[in-house]
Amino acid sequence: MNLIEIFRAVFMNIQGNKTKVFLTTLGIIVGALTIVLVISIGNGSQASVEEQFRNLNVGTLQIMPAFGGRATERLTSEVAAQIRAEAPSIKNISMILAARADISYSNTSASASLGGVTEDLMFINNLEMAYGTFITEEQNEDAQRVAVIGSDIAQELFGDEIGDVIGERVTILGRRYEITGILKGMGDSSMGGISPDSAVFVPYKVAEKYIVGRLARPTIIALAKDIDHVESAIEEINLVLQEVYRNKSDQFRIIDAGNRLQSAKNSARTMTLMLLAVAVVVLIVGGIGIMNVLFVSVKERTKEIGILKAIGAQKRDILLMFLLEAIMISAVGGVLGILGSMLAMPIMNYFQVRAIPTNFAYLLAFGFSVGIGTFFGYYPASRAAALKPIDALNYE
Amino acid sequence: MENNMIYMRDIVKSYKIGKNKLTVLKEVSLEIKAGEFVAILGPSGSGKSTLMNIIGCIDVADSGEYILKGENIKARNEDELAHVRNREIGFVFQKFNLLPKYKAIHNVAFPLLLRGLGKEQAYKKATRLLERVGLSDRMNHKPLELSGGEQQRVSIARALSGGPSILLADEPTGSLDSKSGSEIIEMFLALNHEGNTIVLITHDLNVAKQAKRIIHVRDGKVLEQ
Repeated sequence: MNLIEIFRAVFMNIQGNKTKVFLTTLGIIVGALTIVLVISIGNGSQASVEEQFRNLNVGTLQIMPAFGGRATERLTSEVAAQIRAEAPSIKNISMILAARADISYSNTSASASLGGVTEDLMFINNLEMAYGTFITEEQNEDAQRVAVIGSDIAQELFGDEIGDVIGERVTILGRRYEITGILKGMGDSSMGGISPDSAVFVPYKVAEKYIVGRLARPTIIALAKDIDHVESAIEEINLVLQEVYRNKSDQFRIIDAGNRLQSAKNSARTMTLMLLAVAVVVLIVGGIGIMNVLFVSVKERTKEIGILKAIGAQKRDILLMFLLEAIMISAVGGVLGILGSMLAMPIMNYFQVRAIPTNFAYLLAFGFSVGIGTFFGYYPASRAAALKPIDALNYE
Repeated sequence: MENNMIYMRDIVKSYKIGKNKLTVLKEVSLEIKAGEFVAILGPSGSGKSTLMNIIGCIDVADSGEYILKGENIKARNEDELAHVRNREIGFVFQKFNLLPKYKAIHNVAFPLLLRGLGKEQAYKKATRLLERVGLSDRMNHKPLELSGGEQQRVSIARALSGGPSILLADEPTGSLDSKSGSEIIEMFLALNHEGNTIVLITHDLNVAKQAKRIIHVRDGKVLEQ
């Protein structure tokens, strides 16, 4: 029998049993819907993680004072310079001195995170300039009083004039600083205790001299060449620390910041996979439902199968009739589930669950539905095909 | 033996009922030639239905030889038997055995569709056959919308649609009133006149007498030919 005729027969049968087909397909609908939602939520949470760490390079390392114990040693520009010279796995390195300070411009003022940093921080944190330039090596060496201002602070201080303030002056702790750059908005992200949007950056030496004082404890932030050089970078930094601080080098610790990003990503992924497994279980239960209904259907239609066999239907014809029925039921279920998930998206948003549906999610849900239908449809279909014509014909 | 449509020798068929083995056909031998109109007559339980099932290839003998149109049936697998049923056998059942979901014309076209023929061609031939059995105005009715006599005529049209070598009718008048029944017998006589080989299974001597030859079956044995 050609496929068109088999399809016609399957359609007729499904049309005659709409309610039964819908009930059968419920399990598949729920399964497909769950798959799409789970993947979308997973995408949402991964996107959140990525946004949170957007400015963080995976090769980022932080050297900071260790917790506890009496800290007698502090990091210095000289140590940073030595690391830069002796650690070939490191691409960029910057000092960070963090403090809070009020910053004012004409008659407005704002409270900002103040960062004393060097040129390289721009590359390490992927900072982007809206106007002007970032702090230069020269400005740091000469301890020039210049300031690069984060987008939120700039908005607060300058409002509409934001584009015209390069070269103007702001006041920090009673001293005047030339504005040399305004940063682009970077979103919610924090590096070395400083969120760039609400920060003001000045040269490290300026911060040490005028703002924080010589007793402050700076940190060092460094960027490995790439993710594969993180381990060697840590070893190289440790060697320098041991050389400089001898037996006091344990007053510092090196934090592999890229690791934090990776583990946050991993936990988001693990969550998604776990939920996905639940969705697959739901689908399998749906598939078993299809199998049961199909078995009943084979029983109900035994006489029909007998008649078809008597007039010359081959095993393949009967097999395909039932298998295609299962596949079509599950395909319809998959489509309904996907449509349902589309309707569910606004509800998720209403409850502030971040969900990002993708074509991949839709395809996976559909593919899984049809796969499950085929798998669980095969057994009853092959039982139907294997019926002996004489037994089927005499079945009442 | 060359012009035998059906050649059976020592056919044995038994069923297991619980632990007991019930032998339904005990070394049955018979020959039917092309163009014959044969009635197989016997009371219920005589084994005539089993004999018909074996002739129609919907059941297989335990032992013995069955040659249909020169082809040995014993060595066939299930799909090959389906092929034989589709090409060589036209069944007419006592209870019609039409597919209730489909219109009369689709029922008649079904053996051709199973063969892989397109719907248009199959419907063309089905239309001709339904016209021939006098149902040109009932083609688009479903079986349950037809009377018993009409349903049996649809099933005769279906049996003919595959162009079979044998028409195999199992108590074709058994579910019909006498008027419809004799119309059906008339139809078989006409079909036989046109050269069709017809094997009619019945327990009714009056029906059997319409055939040109009667084969009596009793107790799983052929008594006379």
